Amino acid sequence: MIVAERVTGVARGFIQRMRLARPAWLRVISAAILLLALPFVFRLDGHAHSDWLQFLGRFHPALLHLPIGLIVLVPALEIAGAKQPALREAAAWVLRAALALALPTLALGYMLAYGAGDTGTTVTRHMWGAIALCIALMLCLLVRPAWAAGVQRWTYPLLLTATLLTLIWTSHQGGSITHGGDYLTRYMPSHLRALFPSSRLEGVSPDSFYASSIHPVLDAKCVVCHGAGTEKAGLRLDSYANLMRGGKDGAVIVPGKPEASLLLARVTLPPGDSHFMPAEGRTPLTSDEISWIRAWIHSGATLTATSIPGIVLEEVRAEPAPQPVGDYSQLLPEIQRMKQGVGAKLVPVSTNPSDGLILRTVDVASTFGDTQLAEFQRFAPYIVEAELARTAITDGSFDTLQKFTHLRALHLEGTSITGSNLAKLNSLTQLTYLNLSGTKVNAQSIGPLKNMPHLRHLYVFNTPAQPDETAARSAP
Amino acid sequence: MKQHPLCSDCEPELDITRLPIPTALKCEWSAMETRRRFLGRSGKVLGWAALASLLGEAAIRSQAAGPDAKSSVTAPGRNNLGLPHFAPKAKRAIYLFMSGGPPQMDLLDYKPNLASQFDKDIPDSVRGNQQLTGMTAGQSRFPIAPSHWGFKQYGQTGSWVSDLLPYTARMVDDLTIIKSTNTDAINHEPAIMFMNTGNMNPGKPCLGSWLAYGLGSMNDNLPTFIVLQTKTNPKENNQPVSSRLWSSGFLSSEYAGVGLRSGGDPVLYLADPDGVDREVRRKMLDAVEEMNRQTLAEVGDPETNARIAQYEMAFRMQASVPELTDLSKEPQSTWDLYGPEAREPGTFAYNCLLARRMAEREVRFVQVYKRGWDVHGDVVGMLPVLCKETDRACYALVTDLKRRGLIDDTLVIWAGEFGRTVYSQGGLSAENYGRDHHPRCFTTWMVGGGVRPGITYGETDDYSYNVVKDPVHVRNFNATILACLGIDHNRLTYDFQGLDQRLTGPAPAYVVKGLLA
Repeated sequence: MIVAERVTGVARGFIQRMRLARPAWLRVISAAILLLALPFVFRLDGHAHSDWLQFLGRFHPALLHLPIGLIVLVPALEIAGAKQPALREAAAWVLRAALALALPTLALGYMLAYGAGDTGTTVTRHMWGAIALCIALMLCLLVRPAWAAGVQRWTYPLLLTATLLTLIWTSHQGGSITHGGDYLTRYMPSHLRALFPSSRLEGVSPDSFYASSIHPVLDAKCVVCHGAGTEKAGLRLDSYANLMRGGKDGAVIVPGKPEASLLLARVTLPPGDSHFMPAEGRTPLTSDEISWIRAWIHSGATLTATSIPGIVLEEVRAEPAPQPVGDYSQLLPEIQRMKQGVGAKLVPVSTNPSDGLILRTVDVASTFGDTQLAEFQRFAPYIVEAELARTAITDGSFDTLQKFTHLRALHLEGTSITGSNLAKLNSLTQLTYLNLSGTKVNAQSIGPLKNMPHLRHLYVFNTPAQPDETAARSAP
Repeated sequence: MKQHPLCSDCEPELDITRLPIPTALKCEWSAMETRRRFLGRSGKVLGWAALASLLGEAAIRSQAAGPDAKSSVTAPGRNNLGLPHFAPKAKRAIYLFMSGGPPQMDLLDYKPNLASQFDKDIPDSVRGNQQLTGMTAGQSRFPIAPSHWGFKQYGQTGSWVSDLLPYTARMVDDLTIIKSTNTDAINHEPAIMFMNTGNMNPGKPCLGSWLAYGLGSMNDNLPTFIVLQTKTNPKENNQPVSSRLWSSGFLSSEYAGVGLRSGGDPVLYLADPDGVDREVRRKMLDAVEEMNRQTLAEVGDPETNARIAQYEMAFRMQASVPELTDLSKEPQSTWDLYGPEAREPGTFAYNCLLARRMAEREVRFVQVYKRGWDVHGDVVGMLPVLCKETDRACYALVTDLKRRGLIDDTLVIWAGEFGRTVYSQGGLSAENYGRDHHPRCFTTWMVGGGVRPGITYGETDDYSYNVVKDPVHVRNFNATILACLGIDHNRLTYDFQGLDQRLTGPAPAYVVKGLLA
């Protein structure tokens, strides 16, 4: 009894000191109880409810930025109010306005989740965060008069700080629902990202087709709504086990039967279809991604398979950005003279001089040999493509060619080169295209080309190096 | 008799050079002197006056160009236009033109729902108030004719391809298939004109001429723009194709397509007659050129320049064309790929092989015409013949370019002038049907330099009747082709009749970014 009396006494003293009118704190307490009871009355159990709830709920994202803006404004006004008292008077009004907007926002948000049947840890956190935020706002409003009167110095600032922190945390949870949990960190520099727990798959060989090609697609395009944070339709696609388990409509993957797999059906519907996935205008899967999923399901949808029949995953080597060459405008008279003399032409790639020059020999191919090529050596820094097909150049030209360090494409098809000097091309660090068709190169002589960092298009048709019916390595 | 104040009979002749008028006007006047002489010589026929006024402005320009005009003779296709505007992905292009309008829903635009709607009328909501051709407008019914052939999925992309195209099916992963191409014209002549020149009326330069004009030649010994016609098959419904489609319009005629004949000598009278050797020919040409230059100086008709360039080109072609068309050194793998009909000049396969040889020799633009796709009736009888003629050859060309390393900088385009209707023209039976012209959607494809491989762009509705997603209008189709070759379609213009003429016409056109690599 004594304890109870003491507690009541303390509370009464506090209320007196805070200059609270009894109805005010009663209202706050009852509102808080109502808010706290909300999730227990209308349970978020993963079942969708009526459409009109969702219809209204979808205005949640439209409305929510208003109270956020107002809440952030409050401390700014309070601080600035130290110098300009008029602002501090405004702060009270802004705080009330913030609460007046926060409550309907909360209601709409709840309708959205309840109507659509959203569940998941992120949804739950977002919900509790919002409830806490509303209660905190009410408390701020409750204690502010005392602070303004100078009676209580610390309660209101502390409460306001807590409100702001709650706001940040809640907003982040909401953002994660919309954009995905790793939205902020996805493009973070890798050394910074090491500080955060990674979302790498555990217990899965990184070489497996699932880990290399299926999981990244699902992670980027589906997990936003079908992950740990949000489990729409009770479906999670964030791990192999969850993917195979399926959702409330049953399994989404039928191993071996792509046409019977719900997941594939939903991503291949016409984009206008109401069941099309990813929904709500999120980036659709590309045709490549769809074909990977189809082939993976077709081959049994296993966790461990590393190669899938019919799918060749090329090593993705980024095409290097073309290195601009220097300005050759000063050399134009000389370039013109070369045309009159040797007959081969130096043609601009485009009007932009930094795109470089093409060495074109087709008009004089039969007489264009090693000495003629050597004459063009002084233009080497500007030449990005050398069309030497069917010319009279020989293996002796490689000493010259290795000085054409800006070459991106080199045509040697139909020449008499043997390939013994191909290693010299290793100095052409920007070469992406090399055509050796119809020459005498063999598998051994093209070996050194493996060291070329950017070589993506190598053609050895009609040569001893040609592995079989098709050209060796071509990825146009 | 009192003289009328405006009568100038007694006054001395007006000297235009002394009047206080802008110099430009004086220049124009001096150009008119040329016209006056021209008029005098041609017997003052009224019709010539209109022609002369059309030529007048060009004449001023060629005179103002001065010494440049001469050097353009020595270097045909010389490029001083500031082109390409940006680094191109493709240096050359091969255009496989399927004249007549291939039926898209029998080839690549798979419509599974049609099978259940055999002989039902096409819904009015789909057909809308579209004007039909005179050939079917009078029909009382528009019964749906599902494709006679099955479709299967191929490649990593899982694209649906008709059983009629077993070879095309092998390369779907390389193709950029456009299902939403659409045009403004519903009859052959305007549609094929529109496709080629961006205008339904004849007289505008075609795509190849714009490329020749804008980008110039890469090989001085061969024409910049060559046209290959495929021999007609009398079993097919062939629509006429003629040089108006590869005309250079108002551009100098040296940019017109050079047609190689489909039988006999590829170019007539190319070989020197008996008793005339190369040197005699050279001397003769030099003398003719000298005379032509005198005429040019006197008259200032820019076409004289074009004529000089064409004589020179013909002289060089005497050596280059026999080498180009000599297939005796082609390896066996070529014949394995293209099939035996490639040995017979004038077939589509032969032309595709020739197109590859031209690409190797840096011919800027090759257009291969295949006629006969105008299947108004007997689709079931005709389509297999057409596909057999073209399917393997298209595949062979693309594969050949690919293995020889030419695909990286060659753009291959496959297109007709429009599509065909899903409803049957004439009687529809379980065994046969016909299809009328259809401009609202048709399927085309591209492959090679600049375009994204392995995609299907655009979609049509369930009846392959209307475009429902990502339409590609002919203007934008052409703008995209130009973009692959490094040309901004808005900046490749030619001042003619008071308009900055361009391939895509005065209406706005844009590059379809979704098609680009």
